[in-house]
Amino acid sequence: MDLVLQLLFTGIGIGAVYALVALGFVLIFRATNVVNFAQGEFSMVAAYLMVVFAVDLGWPYWLSFLLALAGMALLGVIFNLGVYYPLRHRTFLPVIIATIGASILMANSVLAIYGPQPQVLQGWFETPGIQLGPVYLDSQYLLIIAVTVVMVIFNYWFFEHTMLGKKLQATSQDKEMASLLGISVSTMIMITFIYSAVLGGLAGILVAPVLFVSIQMGSTIALKAFAATIIGGFGDVAGAIIGGLALGVIETFGAAYISVPYKDGFAFLVLVLFLIFRPQGIFGERVAEKA
Amino acid sequence: MKVTRRDFAAGLAVGITAPYLISNARAQAATIKIGMCAPVTGPAAESGGYAIKGAKLALEAVNKAGGILGKQAELIIEDDQTTNPGIVLAFSKLAAQSDIVAFLGSIRSTQVHAMAPDVLKLGKPVMIGGTDPNLTHMGNQWLFRFRPNDSYSGRVIADYGVNTLGKKKWAVLHSTDAFGTAGGKALTSALEKLGAPPVLDQGYANQSQDFTPVVLAIKQSGADILGSYFTFENDLGIFARQLRQLGVNIPWVGSPSIVNITALKLAGPALYGTYGVADYAEDSSEGSKAFGKAYRDVVKVAPDNQSSWPYDAVTVLAAAINKAGSIDPTKIREAILAIKKFPGAEGEYNFDQNGDGLHGYNIVKNDKGNIVFDKHIEFND
Repeated sequence: MDLVLQLLFTGIGIGAVYALVALGFVLIFRATNVVNFAQGEFSMVAAYLMVVFAVDLGWPYWLSFLLALAGMALLGVIFNLGVYYPLRHRTFLPVIIATIGASILMANSVLAIYGPQPQVLQGWFETPGIQLGPVYLDSQYLLIIAVTVVMVIFNYWFFEHTMLGKKLQATSQDKEMASLLGISVSTMIMITFIYSAVLGGLAGILVAPVLFVSIQMGSTIALKAFAATIIGGFGDVAGAIIGGLALGVIETFGAAYISVPYKDGFAFLVLVLFLIFRPQGIFGERVAEKA
Repeated sequence: MKVTRRDFAAGLAVGITAPYLISNARAQAATIKIGMCAPVTGPAAESGGYAIKGAKLALEAVNKAGGILGKQAELIIEDDQTTNPGIVLAFSKLAAQSDIVAFLGSIRSTQVHAMAPDVLKLGKPVMIGGTDPNLTHMGNQWLFRFRPNDSYSGRVIADYGVNTLGKKKWAVLHSTDAFGTAGGKALTSALEKLGAPPVLDQGYANQSQDFTPVVLAIKQSGADILGSYFTFENDLGIFARQLRQLGVNIPWVGSPSIVNITALKLAGPALYGTYGVADYAEDSSEGSKAFGKAYRDVVKVAPDNQSSWPYDAVTVLAAAINKAGSIDPTKIREAILAIKKFPGAEGEYNFDQNGDGLHGYNIVKNDKGNIVFDKHIEFND
């Protein structure tokens, strides 16, 4: 039982990271009908910004955190204007390819500026974790889980109970109708990119103390988050969260009870099974609507 | 002006021979080129940078001492991207340059395996740092190893853990790539010979983000000592932290990656008190000390095996070509195999007929972040 609890905690912790990044995938997909393959690089860039502010410049952690998120908001604006906006009237394919190109550009820009050395970023708390009975709770994973819960609640409140959230929803559901109702579609899409970049960045900053800060960290997380998005149902916020958490738990238990080397295989096996038997994912109605 | 038949013939002769003479003259003046595949990008880019610095340091020394066959030596570097397809591409680019006389390959066995068929096809000497024993035992006469292979590291880890630390319940943890699998097998085999077969033999895939299941498996196995073969330092760093967080504090003797600079930086205190087999240990010989000083002076960081083996590879290669007196691949090969008692940064080189230059390892301890030399164990077989 101790083993199960320990694995469950770790699985949920890892899954929460996938969920945060998956949320960014979903929001952009809903707003633009495009998969943003640079979502993982948002995480990586934010983690490096934290290293610059908190480690290199030695600024307080909270200030570095806020500045890194502000930097991500700016990156969201640049990304929207530079990658999505010029191609907004084209089919989805050129935009997807542009996001892949942007992800390569971001990774190599960071490589050129900061070098290939993996960096260490301390966690938010001095204490690395707490022992709760037989289970060790890593403080960073606790923080990740807490932030994910807060973000889920915030998302619900924002999209269901604020005018801006409703405008964003309206834009994602029918751009022409939203435009006829006086909603500035391009502004809404800009806000979506900003929000997604900040979400991706948040995931990167949270996971950096656990996985270290490296050029590859974004792509590793994004691949799993993408799988989580499909499992949850592409286009569904709740699906992204459930998919991410499920993936984290499945791969952790799969590694513990079946095979460690094939840990990644379990995540993608689940993905393949979903694609065969339930391609719309767990909460997949919206995908059917869009198709 | 009237062109006579004689003028025409003379002009034709000059026209035909001039390009040859010019290119010949250029060749006479040209440098001796050594190709190097190194991870400039990818997960091992940091250690790749150290490897390049080590090779360049040796090249400078060679050139200062008169170069190779009286010419200055030059290093041509191609990025292997830390991937197998990357190194195949990098090597094919270098191999296409016919004036490159020899090459430096990878420290990663899996990459050396990937490029090995092309090495055999090309038929020119390639210096390697990969430690999978098979690399020099699979009929490829052009691979020359500048680190002791894992049959030695496995034996040294097992010997030290069983006979010096007195532990017999082993957990063996290894990457599932070529290096890790071969290392894990070598360690398991050595432990069986010492009458201490491992209670857990656990593989893991590179670039894992979480090692909780592995740590719990070690905990449950009841092992009283851990032997490991990690390929990437970030994996090692994540594992080391989780191992300590989950309360596993058994002695740990690891393959060389446990004492390299990147791993020490990433894992920090989680690696304190661990032991490692190290092909490079600064205090193990006069050659090691000399390299360490030269490297620190230039690069300003502590040297490790990532930089020491390319340093030795370039030094030994230059000496072999000079001794052979020719850039003919077969003559270079014979000259390398004839090298005995050659003092290098990694130790004393005594090449055997398989192309292995070193036959022993150092044991070092991580003493609060300082790597302290303990002893050298040499084998004669």
